[in-house]
Amino acid sequence: MSNATPTATAVHPCPHCGTPVAGPVGTYCCHGCEAAAEILGQAGLEGWYAARQQAAPRVGAVRPVDVAWDRLGVTPVSEGLVEATFAIDGLRCASCTWVCERLLERTDGVEDAHVSYATGRARVRFRADATDLGQVTQRVTGIGYTPRPVDDPGHPDRDLMMRLGVAAFAAANLMGLHIALYAGAFEGMDPRFVQLFRWMALLLATPVATWSAMPFHAGAVHGLRVGTVHMDLPVSLAVGLVSLHGLVATVLHRETYLDSLGMLVALLLAGRVLEARGRRRTAEAATRLAARVPRDARRVTEDGVEEVASDALQPGDRVLLALGDDVPADGVLAAGRVSAALAVLTGESRAVDLGVGDALVAGAVIEDGHGELVVTRAAGDTLLAGMARQLQEAADRPVPPTAADRLAPAFVSATLGVAVATLGLVGLSHGLDEAIARTAAVLVVACPCALALSAPMVGAAGLGAAARRGLLMRRPDALEALAQVDVVMLDKTGTVTGGRPEVVAADPEALRIAAGLARMSRHPVSQALLEAAVAQGVPIPVVDDGVEHPGLGLDGTLDGVGWTLRSGGAGIVRITAEDGPTHLIHLADRPRPEAAADLAALRAVVPDVRLLTGDHRGVAERIGADVGLEAVQAEVDPAGKRAAVIDAQQAGHRVLLVGDGVNDGPALAVADVGIAMQSGAASSVAAAGGVLVGDRLAPLVAGVRVGRLVQAAVHRNLWRSGTYNVLAVLAAVLGWIGPLTAAVLMPLSSGLVIASAAGLDGALRRQEEAT
Amino acid sequence: MNALFFLVPIAVLLGAGFALAFLWAVRDGQYDDVDDAAERVLHDDA
Repeated sequence: MSNATPTATAVHPCPHCGTPVAGPVGTYCCHGCEAAAEILGQAGLEGWYAARQQAAPRVGAVRPVDVAWDRLGVTPVSEGLVEATFAIDGLRCASCTWVCERLLERTDGVEDAHVSYATGRARVRFRADATDLGQVTQRVTGIGYTPRPVDDPGHPDRDLMMRLGVAAFAAANLMGLHIALYAGAFEGMDPRFVQLFRWMALLLATPVATWSAMPFHAGAVHGLRVGTVHMDLPVSLAVGLVSLHGLVATVLHRETYLDSLGMLVALLLAGRVLEARGRRRTAEAATRLAARVPRDARRVTEDGVEEVASDALQPGDRVLLALGDDVPADGVLAAGRVSAALAVLTGESRAVDLGVGDALVAGAVIEDGHGELVVTRAAGDTLLAGMARQLQEAADRPVPPTAADRLAPAFVSATLGVAVATLGLVGLSHGLDEAIARTAAVLVVACPCALALSAPMVGAAGLGAAARRGLLMRRPDALEALAQVDVVMLDKTGTVTGGRPEVVAADPEALRIAAGLARMSRHPVSQALLEAAVAQGVPIPVVDDGVEHPGLGLDGTLDGVGWTLRSGGAGIVRITAEDGPTHLIHLADRPRPEAAADLAALRAVVPDVRLLTGDHRGVAERIGADVGLEAVQAEVDPAGKRAAVIDAQQAGHRVLLVGDGVNDGPALAVADVGIAMQSGAASSVAAAGGVLVGDRLAPLVAGVRVGRLVQAAVHRNLWRSGTYNVLAVLAAVLGWIGPLTAAVLMPLSSGLVIASAAGLDGALRRQEEAT
Repeated sequence: MNALFFLVPIAVLLGAGFALAFLWAVRDGQYDDVDDAAERVLHDDA
């Protein structure tokens, strides 16, 4: 363009967020980024710009989260000092963590701050009289990251870790003492030392059998109380009986199995700790997305506006809505114009324009404009709350028992039967002494250590392997269910497509003008225009006296010509110059660029992939054709999605549903495996058994593979440990197994299980390389 | 040989001391986030 100003031709990245902007070096893309740089400069942290690995989020694009920080609890630490924990979203690299931590530390009134990269959480200690949580979190918001309240889950695995520590300490010393005893049995040993070592072993084993093994005892008792027998019962029984035998045998100067006991409890607890850690990590990531947040509402009263909690609203109240607000209750717009995204309900993040008389629902986000809402339903009566309840009920379904748990009852009765039979028969033939020794051996070798370890170890390895590839599954049994899936149903919006408008056709000049106007707006269409300009390398010009008319469009002057940007109907943006020329830009929801490749990979592991969408047939079929899917069901409502899943299940299929809206909730809940998109509606995340991180479908392929490997490993371990148990029990009944043999056999069988878990990631990597 | 009557229990007691130290460390939260220290060391103090 001949009359372009010189500044419009040079493009440089914004110093803060890296968005390309027209202008000399150091031009910021928006006021937000400029302010962020100023905040960092004042805190003496400008060195971060040189050291960081990733640019910061664009401050102007961050939607301010409307949180009633003052209502959140802080924990008093000491005189005037309080501590609070909150999550920070948008941390992309370790240096982001670092800059947030330093910035918090250098905030007035803050004594100490710690931000964890692994969990994305900040723990801040500050003087309650000098500052408050709202001001503290504001600092993080100011540089483009998003603080969010979390429920502090406490420290769930500290308890297990301590029990494991005691068990491991005791097991190591027990082993040392028993090695001396075994050596003494062959080489001869002063009987006084034998006595000393046996009593010391008993002393060491006591806390292990009681305190360390308490989770197993508690689990067994709980299982009996609710009338089920799971793997904790045989473990608890074995621990109890072996320690009882140890007590009696020590008093009677006989050999004990206490070294095996220590090792058994330590190994099983190690499995528990691994499982708890893996699950906490995935659950944390999943609940992080579904977190419900206390919010403020601005209620209009006779003498002004007051801030109230959204739960306190009543039908008939009038509430002010402004840009960035979450709608606090269901209601009808009584004044103003807004553009609202209903993503929380429909998964469609495209904003709809609403005027007076239109209905709004709680959880919708005001992306543009302002207005006044008359509340019709509030607090627990809103549509959103109702759906959340239904989803919670679905999530509370009982956990299906694992393969090991299904075997437990038969296992317990068989072991006890063999033990009683040994006691009786050997007692008759060889006398009581020999009978007790052999029965103890039976109980030690029959203890299903390998069997009980198998599911948690392999499950934890599987969860970890899937999580590293971008699929967070909540529970290991969902991984096993994933292995059996033979039909995949995809919700179109947000899974295959981006769920946001994208520019499909525009000439560069139109895009340049549109992007210049759009720069001052956060409307999704404006964002799409900016993204398109950046992607096509069109420099974004600086517009003079730009004005945004919420719900209507944008005005501004560019190179001395006044332009207006207005909606030109569905999927069309019209930009008109004051002297006549008009450009049209077409937008549409398009398949993600990598969707076709991801789907091809998915169909290599699960051939039957179907598209299920509420969209019009024409749109759905076009998108299906774009990504190479023939099986397309269009114009399906939420109940229809649920019915489609049930139909497929009745035809004998195992269904994996991938969805992203609350409207997918019912279907996600009935599917054999439901997986939500991280970017999807919070409550769909709550209903799903797993979450896809990022917006690609590729992790599903890894998930199915991991599931199959986990299933194979669990089956293999069942066979191995079953065979071992049968053979070992037979040998024990025949009197071939003494304490020494038991002490060698047990870690061997557990070692096999641990090896199969450790090999899982390698096996997966080999499969990935083969394709 | 009689010295062993003291030495072996003392050895176990020493071990118990370390076990107690471990319990204290767990309670202190030192095992709550074991991946963080590795990241942190890269950024101290620019």
